[in-house]
Amino acid sequence: MLKSQSLALLLLLLHNPAILQSQSLTIKDDLGDTHVLGNPPQRIVSLAPNVTEILFALGLENRIIGVTRYCNYPKEALSKNRIGGMVDPDLEKIIDLHPDLIIAFRGNPLRLIQRLKSFDLPVFVLEAGTTLESILSIVQRIGLVTRREKAAEDLIDHLNRGLKNIRDRLKNVRTRPKVFINLHGKGLWTSGKNTFMNDMVSEARGQNIAEEIPRAWFSYNREELIHKNPDHILVLARTEKDFLEVKTWFIQDAHLESIQAVQNDKFSFLDEDLVTRPGPRIFEAFAQLARILHPSCFEDNR
Amino acid sequence: MMPNKKRIRLLSLLFLLLFAGLYVSLVKGSVKTSFVDLWNFLVHGDQTHAQIFIHLRLSRAILAFLVGASLSLSGAILQGYFQNPMAGPFVVGVSSGASFGAVLALILGLNMTFWGFSLQNVLAFGSGFAIVSLVYILSQKRGVFKMETLLLTGIAAGALASSLTSFLIFFKSESFEQAVFWLLGSFQLADWNHIRVIFPVFILCFLISQRLAKDMNLLVMGDEIAQSLGCSVNRTRKIFLVVSTVLASSSVSVSGIIGFVGLIIPHWVRLLIGPDHRYLFISSSIMGGVFLMFCDFLARTIFSGSELPIGIITAVVGAPFFIYLLNQRR
Repeated sequence: MLKSQSLALLLLLLHNPAILQSQSLTIKDDLGDTHVLGNPPQRIVSLAPNVTEILFALGLENRIIGVTRYCNYPKEALSKNRIGGMVDPDLEKIIDLHPDLIIAFRGNPLRLIQRLKSFDLPVFVLEAGTTLESILSIVQRIGLVTRREKAAEDLIDHLNRGLKNIRDRLKNVRTRPKVFINLHGKGLWTSGKNTFMNDMVSEARGQNIAEEIPRAWFSYNREELIHKNPDHILVLARTEKDFLEVKTWFIQDAHLESIQAVQNDKFSFLDEDLVTRPGPRIFEAFAQLARILHPSCFEDNR
Repeated sequence: MMPNKKRIRLLSLLFLLLFAGLYVSLVKGSVKTSFVDLWNFLVHGDQTHAQIFIHLRLSRAILAFLVGASLSLSGAILQGYFQNPMAGPFVVGVSSGASFGAVLALILGLNMTFWGFSLQNVLAFGSGFAIVSLVYILSQKRGVFKMETLLLTGIAAGALASSLTSFLIFFKSESFEQAVFWLLGSFQLADWNHIRVIFPVFILCFLISQRLAKDMNLLVMGDEIAQSLGCSVNRTRKIFLVVSTVLASSSVSVSGIIGFVGLIIPHWVRLLIGPDHRYLFISSSIMGGVFLMFCDFLARTIFSGSELPIGIITAVVGAPFFIYLLNQRR
């Protein structure tokens, strides 16, 4: 089954229209707009933290001239020009930077993208997928549009190897622990169907208790939580302190003593930035998650 | 009647502020520009910052002015219409109704245009008008028109429309941040196309209200008196209702919901120059425009590199000031 999945991925990549089109030196973005692949862009503005991370991972550090105020990784990104947020980028600043490529992402409102285009700025728009594998396609297309095809290919290989390694380790897992995903600071905020979080949990051979709810992020019902009785509570937080706060809240205030995860003290901390950004680091988070849910599969080495 | 001098003084002050507002809006922004840059652009045609001056800052300042003017003219009309200083595009439900229509169009992805009006404008107007008509009909009982019922129904219908709007937004929108910018209003995406829509609408509505201002003065004295003085009450009332709805809903459809302008500005102007609508309409329009232009200037410059929804500014500046005014009067 695993083999057929990798094969499917390979086929997908080979038949990806973007690759075929690259021979005629154009590529379509996720809004259906055609971009001509000419000389490598020299002045790139990123409108999302995951795009920034991918650009850095492709070795484009010197060509990035603007990032959002949320772009905090790698730390070199902090010294780049800040062009505002994802929803409220500063149009003046962007225009003043004279970019020859702007990479936008979902989370950037469509109207904003249209506004940028009205200034004849080349905006390449990427839709976030919902699976780990869709991230590979994002990397590949950013590689194409920035003319770093080789670097993108290497990165994808590397990520794929990591993915395969974890999948191999988990292949004999029979029981899938029930997982409740909780975003720090917002009560019982969790993630439903069609999200990276959900795909990651299921790839890590766990079962997201909110998986049948067709919404990305929403507040989970407390009664439902008690009823579903998760084995693990996965806390997405920025710091260890925030994580402990959430844990304390669950144990002391939330009256959720009856839940397996609370009784067995199965709380785990995952870096919020790592898992909520569809970039290369999500594969690190995936590896961490697999270890959390199935430590026995990782006992032979660390 | 207030002395003429007072009105002229207010108008000249407003024009002065208008130019000051335009000047700071043009010169200040996240990209550093100075008076010299502006001068070079205007006089020597220096194109370095042309896009920033013309397409970002100027269009934004003008749009903010037009929206402020529309909202506050709409408020001035409604306050006269209902003979109630509490009235305003929010209180009677127009803003919330219009916002529902606009968001619905946005979410359904309806972006056809007819003669420069997007379907979004049309839907915004349609639902704003529907709410107002509903409120109007509900508050008439056996031909008798009750002001309190009207205001209360307006508040209730407005609340219903805004909760439906929030429902749409929170279910469909990609992010909460995005929703906030709609629910609290913003000019960050202002462009000349918006101005092309709202400018003729505002001018037309302004001319109509100015022409009927005398009749509004009569209406304030009560429908019977107005009728006996030769004003066709029903027709005038209908026209004013449509005009104020068009003003508020076209504003909402370009900038989202911006609170407080339509309530405090006409109120304040009335305190300053008295209740003669011939002067009240024009002064409220200009003052509302100038007020919103400065608010938007603050919204985009207070925190460099990040935008504040303008509704936050109008309320933070407006509310304390309004309370102060009310206390002064007592």
